[in-house]
Amino acid sequence: MARYIMTVDLRRCIGCQTCTAACRHANATPPGVQWRKVLDIESGEFPDVRRSFVPVGCMHCANPPCMHVCPSTATYQRADGLVGIDYDLCIGCGYCAVACPYQARYIVHKREFAYGERPTEQEEARFDPKRMSAANKCTFCSDRVDYAKEHGLTPGVDPEVTPACVNSCIAGVLAFGDREDPNSNVSQLLAENQFFRMHEELGTDPGMYYIFDSK
Amino acid sequence: MSDVKIPPGRVTPWHQTNWDWRAAGNFIGGGSGTGLLFFATLAAGSADAYRIMALVALAFIGGGLTCVWLEIGKPFRAINVFFHPHTSWMTREGMVAVPVFLCGLAAAWFGGGIFVGMAALLGIVFLYCQGRILQASKGIPAWREPKIVPLILSTGFVEGAGLAAVLSAVLPGEGPRWIAGVLLGALILRRIAWTMYFKAVEQSGLPKKAMDVLRPFGAKFEMLGQLAPEILIVAGIFYGAVLPGLTLVAGLVAAASGWWLKYTIVARAAYNQGYALPVLPVRGQGEVKPGIKPGWTK
Amino acid sequence: MAYHDARTGRLTMAAARNVKKVPQYCYQCVAGPDLLTVKVEDGVATEVEPNFSACSVHPGAGKCCVKAYGIIQKTYNPNRVLQPMKRTNPKKGRHEEPGFVPISWEEAFGIVAGKLNEVRARGLIDEVGYPRVAASFGGGGTPTYYMGTFPAFLSAWGPVDFSFGSGQGVKCYHSEHLYGELWHRAFTVSADTPSCEYMLSFGANSEASAGVAGTWRHGEARARGMKRVQLEPHISVTGAASAEWVPIKPKTDAAFLYGLIHVMLHEQPRTRLDVDFLKHHTGSPYLVGPHGFYLRDPATKKPLLWDAKRNAAVPFDTPDADPALEGSFTLDALEVGADGEEWLHQGIAADTSFSMLVAHMKPYTPEWADGICDIRPGTVRRIANEYLDHARIGETVEIEGVTLPFRPVAIALGKTVTNGWGGYECCWARTLIACLVGGLEVPGGTLGTTVRLNRPATSRQASVKKGEDGFMHFPMNPTAKGTWRKEPAVRNAHSTLVPLSANSPWSTALGPTHLAWMFRKQSPENWPKVTAPAIWFCYRTNPSISFWDTQAIVERVAEFPFIVAFAYTRDETNHMADVLLPECTDIESTQLLRVGGTKFMEQFWDHEGYVLRQPAVAPQGESKDFTDIATELAERTGLLREYNEAINRGAAGVVLSNHTWDFKLDPEKKHDAATIWDHACRAASAELTDGRETDGLDWYKEKGLRTRPISRLTWYLFPELKKQGIRFELPYQEQLLRIGIQLGRRLHENGIEWWNTQLTEYQALPPIKDFPGVWEKDTAAHGTLGDFPFWLITSRSMQYAWGSNVGIQLMDEVGSNLRGHGGVVINTQRAHELGIAEGDMVEVTSYLKSTRGPAILRQGIRPDTLLMIGQFDHWVTPYAKDMKAPSMNGLVPMNIALTDATGSAADLVRVGVKKLEAA
Repeated sequence: MARYIMTVDLRRCIGCQTCTAACRHANATPPGVQWRKVLDIESGEFPDVRRSFVPVGCMHCANPPCMHVCPSTATYQRADGLVGIDYDLCIGCGYCAVACPYQARYIVHKREFAYGERPTEQEEARFDPKRMSAANKCTFCSDRVDYAKEHGLTPGVDPEVTPACVNSCIAGVLAFGDREDPNSNVSQLLAENQFFRMHEELGTDPGMYYIFDSK
Repeated sequence: MSDVKIPPGRVTPWHQTNWDWRAAGNFIGGGSGTGLLFFATLAAGSADAYRIMALVALAFIGGGLTCVWLEIGKPFRAINVFFHPHTSWMTREGMVAVPVFLCGLAAAWFGGGIFVGMAALLGIVFLYCQGRILQASKGIPAWREPKIVPLILSTGFVEGAGLAAVLSAVLPGEGPRWIAGVLLGALILRRIAWTMYFKAVEQSGLPKKAMDVLRPFGAKFEMLGQLAPEILIVAGIFYGAVLPGLTLVAGLVAAASGWWLKYTIVARAAYNQGYALPVLPVRGQGEVKPGIKPGWTK
Repeated sequence: MAYHDARTGRLTMAAARNVKKVPQYCYQCVAGPDLLTVKVEDGVATEVEPNFSACSVHPGAGKCCVKAYGIIQKTYNPNRVLQPMKRTNPKKGRHEEPGFVPISWEEAFGIVAGKLNEVRARGLIDEVGYPRVAASFGGGGTPTYYMGTFPAFLSAWGPVDFSFGSGQGVKCYHSEHLYGELWHRAFTVSADTPSCEYMLSFGANSEASAGVAGTWRHGEARARGMKRVQLEPHISVTGAASAEWVPIKPKTDAAFLYGLIHVMLHEQPRTRLDVDFLKHHTGSPYLVGPHGFYLRDPATKKPLLWDAKRNAAVPFDTPDADPALEGSFTLDALEVGADGEEWLHQGIAADTSFSMLVAHMKPYTPEWADGICDIRPGTVRRIANEYLDHARIGETVEIEGVTLPFRPVAIALGKTVTNGWGGYECCWARTLIACLVGGLEVPGGTLGTTVRLNRPATSRQASVKKGEDGFMHFPMNPTAKGTWRKEPAVRNAHSTLVPLSANSPWSTALGPTHLAWMFRKQSPENWPKVTAPAIWFCYRTNPSISFWDTQAIVERVAEFPFIVAFAYTRDETNHMADVLLPECTDIESTQLLRVGGTKFMEQFWDHEGYVLRQPAVAPQGESKDFTDIATELAERTGLLREYNEAINRGAAGVVLSNHTWDFKLDPEKKHDAATIWDHACRAASAELTDGRETDGLDWYKEKGLRTRPISRLTWYLFPELKKQGIRFELPYQEQLLRIGIQLGRRLHENGIEWWNTQLTEYQALPPIKDFPGVWEKDTAAHGTLGDFPFWLITSRSMQYAWGSNVGIQLMDEVGSNLRGHGGVVINTQRAHELGIAEGDMVEVTSYLKSTRGPAILRQGIRPDTLLMIGQFDHWVTPYAKDMKAPSMNGLVPMNIALTDATGSAADLVRVGVKKLEAA
């Protein structure tokens, strides 16, 4: 069975936030809700300073604490590794949000708009009332992955079935594919490069792999 | 509940915004209520006293659960909380809450019998669930430490014993004087649990801001929440005449300090994990540099 | 409100019945165009995506940068001006409410055309000699890619003054533009990133400014191991993505570069340089006479070099000569100085240009440079040697059957490095270093991207013409007696004061654009009065915010009698406008754009062609397609024929006919935008297929773009120079020396002494000057230097780039994810010394003005430097005015002392900082 993961080549990332903006578009999230975003992390002391850019979001863990704690079964894990939320079941208790060590989950109770108190035409057209007061987070664009299955396409290769953030990335940082397929783009990248996963010590078996150097 | 606002560009741990005082209220009500339900079996000087204690206990538990209900985003879907007993301690807490109330009400109705014991034991299970709820919150380092479970249990006992001591002093019938000893024992257990918990988080590391809350709190808590009631009881034991009065005061202080403890852990020390890099990436050429974990004690 | 997603058929959100993806381009900054599609659901634009069909032809894999994602909010922004407005308050100024009232398009056209006709009746040129109509466009020429056929209207109109800048000169790579075009047809300069292995970047913030193509190419380069060393006072996003950050003191880059040259010339054997390149492809062997000019053959006046084979001086183009690179030789020769002055020398000893260079660079040791630049000792020497280690002297690479030198080392220079005092020295040193290793205009090395001053603008290669001295001809503005243009043709006087600015359509904007503003207030001694234009058009520009000394700019703008602003929202410049005209925005209007070839910043394509921008959604309100506005103005001013003919000639980007095809518009008719662009599309199709295809607008609407492959060799100028037997005009700048002297004489003959300091820049071998001292002295002249202990600098932001999207919420939001936006970045330790904590409100003050913002504490900035990213102290622009961000623009003085010979200054000012008490 497939396990879809994302690789993040930290050598390449410049923190431009194009993925952040693309995700906001693709998933119609309201202002401030960034399922994908890039951190700007400075380390060291002048003059020995490093600055790193780190894309983060839901890690689609193989052992997702958010799912384990969810009292309503709204958070679920698919056979292909994607972790999703059924907005019809979610009670908005926030337990998943405190269980997630990646700060990936959002809960919005009040509609907010880009400009003032009224939605723009686009915001109105894409408003989804089901998300109000329910937990939400990155889906790895699961609808696209589903479409791939139905149409014989390959996520991570064919853009129409690849997550929006990956498609948008202008530095070749993000890649998406099946970890279980040794020939997939992500398996090849991981075979050729050194990588880590964030907070791996917490036993979450996260699905975002951060490449930091070649082998 | 307020919107989950993630500060832009934030890297170091920030305080979670999902659970506020209402969540702390559930742990306070649940702990004190189940503790009282347990110690009412020992402390009640009469059936009526037990009835009142049991009802007060249930009120605590119910109050706590009401707090949760007020906090969830979709309160009219609250029934969904029962859907995931396989792994969710919140579901389990909810499922235990039902027989706790049934048995507790039955025990109060009958004023004795098997329901008293069942209510007491189910209450402990409920309390255990609450401990595990916090432990399962992997995103909050101050909660996920396994030693939080004995801490939640022990403070539940302290609060319950403290309230039992207070109520037994004011309710009809004379409660046993040795309830002071029980309270002292619970306090000692909590002292041990707190010490073990604090050492554990010191050793494993915490977000600095969480530690900045817990360290000064701990110093005050050990004095006011632990030492003060312990001294009061010991003094009462030495000067038997004043024991009831001192036990009453000690009970109040002990219970209140448990609330203080839980409010602090749930609503003030709940800094999240933040982000970390085990190594810094190579940029073109150069060496892999040591990683960073911004905002952590270690 | 749930809908079935068009892609998946799944029930997700609202029920969309009609979904399409509309191809577009984004050209909000010069690093474009980015190619994208806009998803439109039931007539509402919802999502921007890369144009995946373009990934094989676009150098950035068909992606679009973060700014492109702002165009949907831009379209639906409720703050837009959506109908024509006219001013009711005749008084203008920051504190005068304009009292705009809505009017019909009919009335608006009537007012504007009436004014134009009035001007036309009075004469196109005013009493002083300046065009009565002026126009300003922002963003490095990018507004052109959104103004449809308006350039054809301006062409039909006649003389128009583009003098009034909105940031040119102070916020561009100014010296690079001018000297870059002189030396290697490089309006901007780029590394050959795909094959470069070692790169020095002096403040070149490519990861913010080089767009998708640059980001993509550099990402690939990093992954394959290219080492980039970033030298800048703070660690920018580019510094973050570099292998090493060197925190150099502001305005000392030239010293670092000179230190590098010293190491290469004085500490390493000549074998580590590309001696063959220097001898045969540069002016290094040219012999220099005692007056500083080349020694020439008296008969032909050709510059001489010493032929080692014949042991005699021979003209530079003697075919089988073996030029001596170094040495002093005795010869008879003619020396020709300024204004044709001649000296005939007998038996004179003369050094080669290269020998003079070696002697010139002797004092600039690495130890000296380390001290000037305030960096760790040893850094300059180490980096010079790393550069040489990577230069691969002698290696070649074959491209399309042509063998070329392979020199995978390059140097990039950023803004503030390439403008203002020191810009010349930096550009000269950078280009010279490339020559020392034979790495100029060859694979792996330092390349030019595009031409703007030379013609034709479509081909760097075609712009190469051999000059008399064996270098590329450059169209200098004349400085010789009798040909020097004493009376400026436009208000910034570029052709009078800046010979290097040439005289192409871009030259006005590349002149000293601040002079137009400054001289409006008060003309300097012996200088003609600078009048206000009778009509000023402005579009996608906001000099009231974006220039330096913005307070003064606002006052000058307020003096203009009639301003027509094409307005997206209200802003600080159109606050003074008389008429606001709402044009359709990016995804509401049509335009065909030429793409491909090589363009700035790192747009190196293997294809060329055309891409369409088209209405994805219906225009909001009464906004009108710019082309229709231009056509209407042309008709109402009686210029329809001239306008159509200008379009036919290619003024809208495509030449509509040639000897094989003819899609010309009927010049007598009024055509709507769709018709005009249909003709353009047909001509474009024919051009790209040699007449085989004639697909029109509908085809482009569906496909988005049409391209054809081009040769990779177009990236490199060296093969063209080699073919024509042309040398790079380095290291010795005889031509500049001559024109400098001539310019000085012309100015002095007319009593103009205020440009004397600028004249000192015209040196054949430029010495290092105290460049930071220029700013320090200017500060000391207006106050006490000790009160202004910090250098204030700025830095590009990809999210905002040219700032025209500052009112877009999404850009503000995602920009906030990066530290530095919206505040004053200060070194952490230094802040602690000053009692400033993160988030404290601080006031930053120059001798001119002060600005306020929250402190942002960073380790990655020098203790003597402050940084403000973004320049957004807006006071009218909706959304932006609520950001309350600090800006350096109002703090930077606008004066002659800070203006260099090319007419530029730098985004740099000395300031003090203090913590404000909590309110």
